[in-house]
Order: sequence, then structure tokens, then C-alpha cells
Amino acid sequence: MALEPGSPGPQSVEARPSAWGGLLAILDTPQKRGIAIVLILAAMVIAPQAFGPYATVILTNALLYTILALGLNVVVGYAGLLDLGYAAFFAVGAYSVGILTTEFGWNFWATIPVAVIVAMIAGVIIGGPTLRLRSDYLAIVTLGFGEIVRIAARNLQITGAASGISGIEQPWLFGWHIARQVDFYYVFLVLAVIAVLTSVRLANSRLGRAWLYVRHDEDAAEAMGIDRVRVKLAAYIIGAIYGSIGGAFFAVNLTAISPQSFSFQQSTLFLMAVVLGGMGKIPGVILGAFVVVLGPELLRDLGSFRYLVFAIGLLLIMLFRPSGIWPAGGKR
Amino acid sequence: MTLTTILAQQLVNGLVLGSFYALVALGYTMVFGVVKLLNFAHGDLYMVGAFTGLLALSAVAGTAGTSWVGVGLSILLAMIAVGFLGVVIERIAYAPMLKAPRLSILITALAVSLVLQNGVLTLSNGQVLAFSPRLGFAGINLGPVFINYKQIALAGTAAVLMIALEFFISRTQYGRAMRAVSVDRDMSELMGIDVNRVIAVTFFVGSALAGAAGTMAGAYYGSVWYFMGFIIGLKAFTAAVIGGIGSIPGAMLGGLVLGLLESFGTQIPGIGSEWKDVFSFSVLILVLVFKPTGLLGKSEQERM
Amino acid sequence: MNLLKTSAVASLALALMLGTAYAADIKIGVLVPTTGGQATYGQDMANAVQLAMDEINKAGGGNTYSAVVGDDACDPQQAVNAATKLASSGIAAVIGGYCSGATIPTLKIFGDAKLPFVITAANSTKLIPANPGNAFMINSTGNDQVAKALDFWKAKGYKAIAIVNEGDAYSQDLATLAQKSFTAAGGTVPAFETVNHGEQDYSAVVTKIKAANPDAVFWTAYDDDGGPFIKQLREGGYQGDIYVGDGSTSANLFKLAGDAAEGVYAFSSPTAEFLPDAKSFADAYQAKFNVAPSSYGPLTYDGMKLLADAITKAGGTDSAKLIAALQAEDYKGIAGEITFKPDHTLGRSNFVVVVGKGGTWTLAQ
Repeated sequence: MALEPGSPGPQSVEARPSAWGGLLAILDTPQKRGIAIVLILAAMVIAPQAFGPYATVILTNALLYTILALGLNVVVGYAGLLDLGYAAFFAVGAYSVGILTTEFGWNFWATIPVAVIVAMIAGVIIGGPTLRLRSDYLAIVTLGFGEIVRIAARNLQITGAASGISGIEQPWLFGWHIARQVDFYYVFLVLAVIAVLTSVRLANSRLGRAWLYVRHDEDAAEAMGIDRVRVKLAAYIIGAIYGSIGGAFFAVNLTAISPQSFSFQQSTLFLMAVVLGGMGKIPGVILGAFVVVLGPELLRDLGSFRYLVFAIGLLLIMLFRPSGIWPAGGKR
Repeated sequence: MTLTTILAQQLVNGLVLGSFYALVALGYTMVFGVVKLLNFAHGDLYMVGAFTGLLALSAVAGTAGTSWVGVGLSILLAMIAVGFLGVVIERIAYAPMLKAPRLSILITALAVSLVLQNGVLTLSNGQVLAFSPRLGFAGINLGPVFINYKQIALAGTAAVLMIALEFFISRTQYGRAMRAVSVDRDMSELMGIDVNRVIAVTFFVGSALAGAAGTMAGAYYGSVWYFMGFIIGLKAFTAAVIGGIGSIPGAMLGGLVLGLLESFGTQIPGIGSEWKDVFSFSVLILVLVFKPTGLLGKSEQERM
Repeated sequence: MNLLKTSAVASLALALMLGTAYAADIKIGVLVPTTGGQATYGQDMANAVQLAMDEINKAGGGNTYSAVVGDDACDPQQAVNAATKLASSGIAAVIGGYCSGATIPTLKIFGDAKLPFVITAANSTKLIPANPGNAFMINSTGNDQVAKALDFWKAKGYKAIAIVNEGDAYSQDLATLAQKSFTAAGGTVPAFETVNHGEQDYSAVVTKIKAANPDAVFWTAYDDDGGPFIKQLREGGYQGDIYVGDGSTSANLFKLAGDAAEGVYAFSSPTAEFLPDAKSFADAYQAKFNVAPSSYGPLTYDGMKLLADAITKAGGTDSAKLIAALQAEDYKGIAGEITFKPDHTLGRSNFVVVVGKGGTWTLAQ
């Protein structure tokens, strides 16, 4: 979705004086940023021991959302395509693994390439019709596809219909049975790091720049020789890859998947994570993912009020920081 | 039942359903036209309208009874209440956001939607509440099909509201101002139009329509629930896009088309009720592939 | 009298002190939806657990119990989060489980944590193969419900039945089972429909059903949509019999369906109205919570007392012993007798057929 001419882009908003500003001022050199990253990673590594099994599960969930939010960020943040049906790729990954392992007895690791390929095909199918569409129409088409995937999963026998697929076997890796919660935590941590690194490389690549031009002005980009169609499809395909890998590991983590996990609400949660943190900016997206997962959990003690409190909190954040929690002009 | 009877009945079903979609889609499209915002909270205004209508009905039950007059009054009261709520939301949540990136306003709208949903959830304890007007089951026979008075009243009210809206847009000053703002906002401001006023009026009218639809739905279907806005919002959004977002006749057409698609889709063997939503969305996607701006949308030069 | 009282209190205190030497407060996890559309059922179940615990604690002379409630919001991921939190809260066992779809992924979590899980409402047959061996289902499964339905329908001489579900794990499972059994027994299902949860307009499905003209319609989902659906069926002119499954048996069905609920049949786990022993439960519940118990209150109350009984029989909360004790149980609760088959489902179905008359349910047979 292109930014309207005249509206501030992520790089040109005036810096808001805030606590963040102070924090970023401290982290002004690459060395200092590097140290901060190392510290955060170290904290993530010892988190399960430090905080216990419940925190481990929640953090695993946050890492999953990080991966998916980064994938959606490629589609929405980099290429500017408003995708309201991102859960479709998540579902494709999860169900591919579920079906191949339970129905056909495949080894989990063998199913991953299949899940990714199927998701890439889905990316082309979903992306194809949207190429000529305005952003709002694009939104509804992607939403439509999301719903189509979910309803198909609900209706078809091979996907287990409404009860979904259960009894998915958890994988072995060189003698390490990835079965405990804490095992999956580390797996997702590694995946999240890979996702972040990939996103950084993408942003700084030729493709990343092409997305930037297309996002700002499609016709000018075309005039410069950028193939709009290929660039947009690339965004969908890459987003699909992130989504399907997240879905694949989600399936073996939960060992049971059902259509409920792939609803439009799920898609909006991913979108919330991307926008909340500050769309297009990787640290912001990670932050957004954590907020979306940790928010309702931390508020668990409030009982039935917690979603209301979360919603009000969300609203207040958006009102006072419309470009997302992460300050504009931060690290990309 | 013969096939013609069945199809005729499904036609009636589709038109009734479509009227609801159309009323809500109108609000969506109006707001979009003027503020370029996909108001995710719009469906929840429909839901609030239903609850307000329920409250209004119990309030007027003593004086006006719970039959047609009572229901009519409730609709009116709900329209006014929800209309104002819409303006309040616009002032608080959207007006400050108009210079922010487009997606941010979208998420803000989502947040507003969640606040409304969860607020009503908390107040109603998540219960489905019964809406029991005394409207009876009588009706008329039109050929092979039985149409009850509620359906006639519903379609009639929807039609009246839509005609009134059309009149408002095309004949009144505010209507003209709205059209101007939707075409070019900055220019309109330069021409002396009080854009903020116009936006407020747009929200009022759009929300009032949703509120009316909500109350009518509550009375017609007999129940209200905090989650009922979500699905209708999705459908209305689809309807508005099918018809061409930003186009008022488009929203009406889109609503009716979607309602008919769903009713007939349920009837088609192989599709049935299981796949009817897939059917509707597939038609939507096909329409947009061949006509990217919807059925009645204006072909725009800018590609965003 | 005072002396008697004082000595009674003193001996009680002594007994408690001695008792607490080897029976401290036992925490039981309660996994139910306390938020979301099914919150009223979840809250009802949590209340029933609390009532049971209060009675057990008051009776004294043994273990005392306290509840740790986890909200699954009827969503699989939320359920997993809540289950994990419960599993690390120092609980000895879990009770609850309302939405089958949300309960299934938690089975493994509780299984890995070696926590016995007494499931008091969720009854999809998909729970059975997913059970790692620590879960016990005390609500008759879909299999039992369908068996009961089949008997009843055969007795009524139905040839054709339309079945409507909502596309969630519970209602779809029940619907598919009903379809299979009924067709296997020689009947036909001329209309098998799915409606969306919360989508109020059922006119298209009603028209389809009318056109198929079945002897009866079976609604297998919950009452929040069931009530309006029944209403629209009757308003649309359908004259045959209507049946609902155990997910629609709350009193709210009558409010939502209005007059249309008159004469509607339901397959229900025994509710407080019909159980001779349940009157005192219903009264105590009403007194404590100011509202009547809902459909799964009695079962959940029984479940808690069953658990406590098993803990006493097992001599503690060691999970292997507790599971064995549960397996061997023969407990007479207010909702009927509880024994378990080898697959941990209820030994004897407790379903009854009820019919709506004058705004409440009465036994149909």
C-alpha cells in the first residue's frame, strides 16, 4: 500500500522526544548496538531457566509471532501490500506438515520443503489477482483468501475437518528429540534469529530497494525498469515462506492443529504486531510481536477484563504513537 | 416444494439478508469515501445499535408497547444514539490520526472495534440476549412464496433509508459537500467547506444507518450478542468492495448481490451451506480480477 | 452445651492439626472458558468446583482443597497457555474442559506433566485417541449421545432427518456421527448443513430443510445460535420435530427461541431438575452464587467429588496411583453413576431425552 503523497513516511517523521529517544541516544554507535543485541540474546538464552515453564511457553509463542510478523512485514512493510489474510500461509505450513506426517508417515524434516513449496504456490495464487488492485481491494481479496483457506480446512476430511489434526509426531534431530517445551523454545529462538537476519539482508538488497520504489510510486518505479509484477509476487512468496515455516514448527509444537488457529482474528493479530511496533522497522516488529503475545498473558489476572484492557491499551498506544511504538528513524 | 418455489424463496431470503448488508455497507463506503479509512469498528456500531435498540425497546415498552410502534421508536432512538457514538469515536480516535500512515489508522480502527466488542462483552457478560418484539408471524402470499410482514417492513425500511440517503447526498448542501470532500479534500477546504463538520456528519449518518440495521436485525432475528458485529462487518466490507468502494449505489448493489450469492449459494448442490462463504469470496475475487474497482466503482487513474 | 461445643471444637482442631500433618491443602487446576462466548458455561463449571470444594473442606477430616482457575477462552492456543501455566502452579490434578477443540491440545500438556485430568463437559470422540492416558471423560461422548438418539428416532419411526452443525469440533463431530449411524440404520439425511457461529440469518438453510421435508431436524451445536435457529425454522413454516444436542440445553434456549422451543427435544446429561439427589446441589448452588446452575454444573460437581474420592482412595496425589484409583472408581454422583471403560470414557451413558414444555425441560420418556 503506497503512502499517500504528503503523508510522512517512516523515515521522515519528526523525532518525538521520549524515553525511547533517550535509549536510542545511548545506543548511538554500532558497537553499542551490537552489545545491546548480544545482551538481549543472552537474556533470551537463559530465560527458560530463569523464568520457568510457563514463561517459556509464552516466550515461545512470542518468538513464533516474531517470525510471522517479520514475514508479514515483508509484504506490508517493505512492499506496501495490505495483506489481511496472512494466516493462510501459516495454515498451509501447519497443515502440510500435519497431513504428511500423520496421513503419510513422512519425517518432519522432509515435509518442510514441501510446506514451503506449497506456500510459495499459494503466494503466487493469492498474489496474482491482486497485482492490479488498489490497496483496499487488495485487502479484501487477501482477506477472502484467508477465509477460503480456513473454511476449506474446516470442511475437508483430509485436514481433519473442524476437529483438525491431532497426534502430530514431534521431530528428532541427530538423536535430540524435540519434544519438551524448552526444546521448542530454543528451536524458535534460532528460527527467529534467522528470520531477523534474513529480513535485514532483504531490506538492504536490490529487491528491498525495489520494494521501496514500488511502494512510493509504482509508475515511476516501472519507468526505472523495475518489474512491478515480479517484485510484488516476490514479496508474497517470501512472506509465504516465513509463514509456512512458522506454521510447520507450530504444528509439531502443539501436536494438534485446528481451523480455529487460522482465522481472520489471527491475521489481524499478525497485522497488529507489525503496525504496533512500527511497520517496516525490524526491532519495532519484534517489539510488536511481543506486545501482542505478552499483553493478554500479563493481564491474565484481570480475568474477563483483560481483553478490554488490552484493547484500550492498544487504542491509547495508536493514538499517542501512530507510527508505532518504535520511534521513527530507528534502525531499519 | 417445487424448484421454482425454492428458488423464489431463496430470492426473498437473499434480498432480506442483502438489505442488512447494504445498510451496513453504505456506512462503510460513505466513511471511506470521505476519510479514506476502512472503519473496522463499523460492524461493531451495528452491534451497539442492536443492544441500544434492545434497551430502547424495554424503555418504551410501557408507553408504546413492543409491537410495530415500539420497534419503530427503538430504531429511531438507536439511530440517534449510534450516530452520536460514531461522531464521538471519530473525534477521539480518528481525527487525531488523519496525518498518520494509513495502516496505523486501520489498526486504530481495529482497536476501537475491540474496545466496543469487549466493552459490550463485559457489560452483557458474553450472554446472547433475547430481543422479543411482538411482531407476529402474519404475512402475505406472493405466488408460491410466503413473505411475512416483518420481511416487508424490513425491506421497506431499508429502502426508505437508502432513498433518503440518496436524496441527502444528491440534493442537500451537506451531501454535495461530502461528495466534494471525497473527491478532493484539500480543494474542498480551499473552497470554504468546513471539512471537519462534513466528516462528522458523514460519520453520524453512516453510523446511524448501521445502528438502524442493528436494531432491525435484533428485532428480526430475535437475538443480540457482543460478537454479532464482527461477521456483519466482514460481509458489509465485502459487499462495499463488490459494489465499488466509495460508491453509494455500489454499496447498495453490493449488499444485495452478496445476500443473493449467499442464499443461492446455499442452494447450489456441491456448494451448500458448507461452502457458501468460499463461493461468495470466489465471486468477489473474480469480479475484482475483471473489474478491479468493483461493479460500480469509478475507474481511477492512480494505482495505489 | 458450651462445654460440648468447646470440646467438639477442640477435638476438631486437634484432628485437623493431626490431619494436616499428612493432608495439606491440595490445589486443583480448573481449565474452563471464563472469557469469550462460552464464558457462562465455564464460570458455571468453576462455581460447581468451588461448591464441591467448600463442602469437602467443611466436612473436614481429610484433605482440604483449593482451586486454581485457568481460562482457555475456548481457543486452542489460549488453552495451551493456560494449561502450561496451571501445570506449573503446583496442582495435583486438573478438572474442567468445556470446548472440545480447545481441550484436545491440552491433553498432551497435562499428560507430560503427569497430571490426571477429569474432563467434565467436553465430549468429542476425537478426545479419545488424543488421550495420553491421564484424562477421564465423565460426560458421555458423542458415541453415547448418538446411540441414545438412534434408539429414540427408531422408536419414533423417522425415515429422514436433517442435521445442522456449526463447523466446530464438538458440533461437527456429533453431526457426523449422527449422520453415519442414522444412514447405517437405514435412514436418510437429505440435508446436512453447516452454519457460521454468530451469523444470524439461517433463512437459506431453513428453506433448504423445508424443501427436503425431513421427519426431524437435529441441531448439534450450542444454544446461542440454536435458539434463533429453532425460531427461524418454525417461522419459516417447518412443522416436523426438532432435536438439539447437549450443547443447547441451557435455559437460555427458551429465552432465545421463545414459543418455538415448545416441544423441542433434547439429549441432555442429567440436569439438576431431574436428578432426585440434585435438588440439594441446586439449592446450595443458588444460595451461594445467586443464579441457577447451568447444564454442566452437576457433572462438574460430581467430577470434583470424584477426584477427591480418588485422592483419598489413592492415599495421596501421586499421579500413577491417582490415575489407577480413578480408573477403578465406582462413584455415585448426583448426575448418575461414574465408572470408566478402559478408554477412560464413561462406563454407562448418562444421557436422557428431555422435551421443552412451558419454558423448561421435562423428561420425555
